[in-house]
Amino acid sequence: MTGYFARLECLRMLRDPRYLALAVVAPIGFYLLFASLFGGGMPGRLPGTVEIMVAMAAYGAIWGALSATGPRIAHERAGGWLQQLQAMPVAARQVMAAKLAAGMTVTLPALVLVCLTAAVVKGVRLDTWQWATLLAVMWVGSLPFVVMGVAIGFVVGAEAAFPLSYGLYMAMAALGGLWVPPAQLPAALRQLAGALPSYRLADLGWRIAAGSAPSAADVAILAAWTAGLGLLAALAYRRRPRRRLGSGPRPGPRRRHASSPAAA
Amino acid sequence: MDETDAPIILDRVTKRFGSLTAVDSLSLRIPRGQIVALLGPNGAGKSTTVSLLMGLAAPDGGEVSVCGERPGAAVSRGRVAAMLQDCGPMPGVRVAELVELTRRMYPAPSPTAAAIEVAGLADMAQRRVDRLSGGQLQRLKFALVAVADPELMLLDEPTVAMDVQARAGFWSAMRTYAAAGTTILFASHYLDEVERNADRVVVMAHGRVVADGTPDEVRAAGGAAIVRFRLPQPAALPRLPGRVTFADGWARVDTADPDLTVRMLAASDVPWRDLRVYQTSLDESFLALVGTDGADGTAKEMAS
Repeated sequence: MTGYFARLECLRMLRDPRYLALAVVAPIGFYLLFASLFGGGMPGRLPGTVEIMVAMAAYGAIWGALSATGPRIAHERAGGWLQQLQAMPVAARQVMAAKLAAGMTVTLPALVLVCLTAAVVKGVRLDTWQWATLLAVMWVGSLPFVVMGVAIGFVVGAEAAFPLSYGLYMAMAALGGLWVPPAQLPAALRQLAGALPSYRLADLGWRIAAGSAPSAADVAILAAWTAGLGLLAALAYRRRPRRRLGSGPRPGPRRRHASSPAAA
Repeated sequence: MDETDAPIILDRVTKRFGSLTAVDSLSLRIPRGQIVALLGPNGAGKSTTVSLLMGLAAPDGGEVSVCGERPGAAVSRGRVAAMLQDCGPMPGVRVAELVELTRRMYPAPSPTAAAIEVAGLADMAQRRVDRLSGGQLQRLKFALVAVADPELMLLDEPTVAMDVQARAGFWSAMRTYAAAGTTILFASHYLDEVERNADRVVVMAHGRVVADGTPDEVRAAGGAAIVRFRLPQPAALPRLPGRVTFADGWARVDTADPDLTVRMLAASDVPWRDLRVYQTSLDESFLALVGTDGADGTAKEMAS
């Protein structure tokens, strides 16, 4: 059942043109644009085509993760689907497992397709182990963004969830060095970037592409974000208002048929 | 009657929200295969009772047993399914996909296609749930209960927004389920469909049961008949066997004994005119029960 549930969660995303535009087409398009403009690179650093490939793969993966969770969970809370699930024989942890699985799955198209575009169009060449490790590690590194989306979905309402998710996404992308190489950021911003999960996700890929192992700081900071956001999500899930059922006389019942005397 | 023969047992159940007592020492036993209507004005405690039965709220006192288990256990083992208000479908999926997902959750489900058919959604199986109208959404909720094929169905205003044809189909399906041993408890504001489809009517007011019996018995409990006549000038009436009210120059007597009422009026020198006698409708009994009688919480025990 959880497998079918996760499959439906993914299908919903793939049917959503907004997801396809922002989390798949946009990072590929930006990659082609930026790699053509800044593809040269400097000595001692990754070629621009590779550095931008990793940045845009992270950029797409982050939006996949956030959009599959934050706005959707908030929307489901408002629309009553989560309440419906409470009345069905499915455990909260199964629901959460399906959401996390779907959130992780929809990060893959951006990761894979940006790398494929880089290899095919811009001639980026890495060793096989580098491709495999880069994709696998960046995929796992997307987890904090899925958890962040879950937290957003349970903290804010349906109206605020999309702008909040998108705002955080843009801020994390800009400040995390996905638009401008972090080396070119001013010192203060560079320090801030180091604390952001967006920078750390990209740094995993940059290090692997450069032939070295991800740093302990990358792993530790991404793990810390995951744990902190997971805690926030769990707290928000617990203290979210229970369904209004049974709250006694409701001030404005949404009854469309109040014609019988019983409604008087 | 042992536990397995009564899928719903409420034993002196109380639920409070702050200073409000939503359900007040409620006792109710519903045997297998019965179709029971739960009636009451808004705030009578119907929805709270349903949420107690679904394990969505815990009672402050008393015992709730659903299919012989705690409500939460009965829900998580798929023995009960519900059409609830304030619930909606999973967004972004097709009708058939959502019914199939639900089918996979329950231990002894019906086939997906059969549930879609019985809910009258066969033409819309491939439609996205986000594009359904209010009545179609209500049919989808019905399909989710139909595919679950549980021992107990709890239906909170199941036919809201359904058209006449959909309602007829819905109730014919419900009678088939009940004949096969499914127990059905529903809340409704449509008294005509209560009268036609319920084996038993439980009327709640202020968290208590104020009447419990067949539709005929509940109708009788609110006064078996209404005697109306005009009073052109004020006059003192004899002590009639019923409740007398006045409005717009008309006197109205809600009475269990219309014969005696008419004889007493005929024997008196009251200048009444235009006398007529009606059979009480369930609507009127209902209003009588939850109006003044309901306010003091007097339970009228009848059958069961």
